[in-house]
Amino acid sequence: MKVSAPLLEVSNIVAGYIPGHPILRGVNLRAEPGKITVILGPNGAGKSTLLKVISGFLPPEEGVVKLGGADIAALPPHRLIEHGVALLPQGRSAFPALSVVENIELGGWTLRADRKRLREAVEAMLSRYPHLRPLQDRAAGSLSGGQQRAVEIARLLVPNPSVLLIDEPSVGLSPIVARQVYQELVAFKEEGRTILLVDQDVRAAIKVADFVYVLNSGRNDVQGDRSAFEGDLGAMVRGWLGV
Amino acid sequence: MLTQIGSILADGIMIGLIYAIAGVGLSLVLGIMGVVNVAHSAFIMLGSFFAFELFRRFGLDPIISFFLAFPVFLGAGVVVYRLLITRVETAAQTQGLVAMFGLMVLLESLGTIAWTTDTRVITVGYTNTSMVVGGVVLANVKLIAGALALLLIGAFWAFLRFTLMGRAIRAMGQNRSAAMSVGVNVRQLSAVMFGLGIACAGSAGVALGMVFPFSPNTQILWLAWAFLVVILGGLGNVANTLAAGLVVGLIQTAAAAFMPFDYVYLVLYVLLAVILVVRREGLSGATRRAI
Repeated sequence: MKVSAPLLEVSNIVAGYIPGHPILRGVNLRAEPGKITVILGPNGAGKSTLLKVISGFLPPEEGVVKLGGADIAALPPHRLIEHGVALLPQGRSAFPALSVVENIELGGWTLRADRKRLREAVEAMLSRYPHLRPLQDRAAGSLSGGQQRAVEIARLLVPNPSVLLIDEPSVGLSPIVARQVYQELVAFKEEGRTILLVDQDVRAAIKVADFVYVLNSGRNDVQGDRSAFEGDLGAMVRGWLGV
Repeated sequence: MLTQIGSILADGIMIGLIYAIAGVGLSLVLGIMGVVNVAHSAFIMLGSFFAFELFRRFGLDPIISFFLAFPVFLGAGVVVYRLLITRVETAAQTQGLVAMFGLMVLLESLGTIAWTTDTRVITVGYTNTSMVVGGVVLANVKLIAGALALLLIGAFWAFLRFTLMGRAIRAMGQNRSAAMSVGVNVRQLSAVMFGLGIACAGSAGVALGMVFPFSPNTQILWLAWAFLVVILGGLGNVANTLAAGLVVGLIQTAAAAFMPFDYVYLVLYVLLAVILVVRREGLSGATRRAI
């Protein structure tokens, strides 16, 4: 199943949680269609804040977020999925008291008017992640961290989004499960989806990246394709830490 | 003695069902939306007067009023949400509490202007009739009110459990931002949820008005009953609220059978104090995660 993804562009974004005290101070970024674009940076650089702006949770004070040429900066979070943009938030986001299948079904909230299509989309996800099928009636909160992440990813894909915003996907997961998650990101790319990945796991993120942006103190620092970052990662991280 | 125990059980269950319906809306609005709706009981009172007026003016049976009250109070709840709750929901919880307290005082005052403080009753054909089952006397009006309450609680439970919208409401209570990221318009759904809570209050008011005398200022008593049920049952869970309502109904009926009526409140509030000290999450141990 090939997805046709639009270009995601972020221009001169200024945003923060307290008026007059911006976290992001003029950030620019392009996430090319069908590529994995990674945002790296030290703690407090504004990586997650930038995802919040793009996903509509934090309105920017200045700047533009364009998807396929249309400005989406003013859209509330629940409208983004109508434009094919889906967010996988940081940490656990499965609904713990709902069953696995109920979680996946809610991923298709925007398809609810077409019950047949929704059922087919849920079934497609259970086929894509067959290890979830025997767990489908279990409460998501009773599953392991890796299983919950699989539920979250299945839920993310139900509406067949073309742009995926992924925030720290491997936090709290075992190394084996984390590796599987990064393999999934590559699979999403091969399906033609645009991926914007914010990550603290520098090494793992660069391995899957097509293009990398580094933010520092809310501004663009360095940027380049993967090859530019595969060299001395240690020096870059030491630079962030100031040691 | 057996007959007396049977009567206490039957009466307690029927009254408990009505208490459960009075508490369920409050519990869900608090558990899912985090809104402490102290005006809930004022809507219960309005529900009683809704049935009273429909009976007085049009001779409409309260059973029909029970079903009419649901959509009418649902609409009223959505209006209150849009006009009031949206303005205070992102503010500190004390501001929301003060706003809801203001609404409660306003509604009670308007009720007193409209209906004075006189106590009213709704007397229909079956009000003073009863049936005997196995030697146990069952008041028909309590049976009917209890059955209506059970029907509404069952429908509410099924809505939250089996419909996509119900699941989205539960999801919203568990992780609001994740619900938004799957496309749920939480503002719209919160309006529906608040409306459903008020609809339950309105219908509960009809059921209570069928069984008990009422006036505009009895609403404060209903508020205490509703909070007792919520505290006992934990937040946001229909089944636990039903169980809590039954416990309160049974304790009240049993206490009333063996001691002067004034002591009934003493027993219930001592029970409430003990629960708050010993088990703050209620008898079920339910918390918001169980929504």
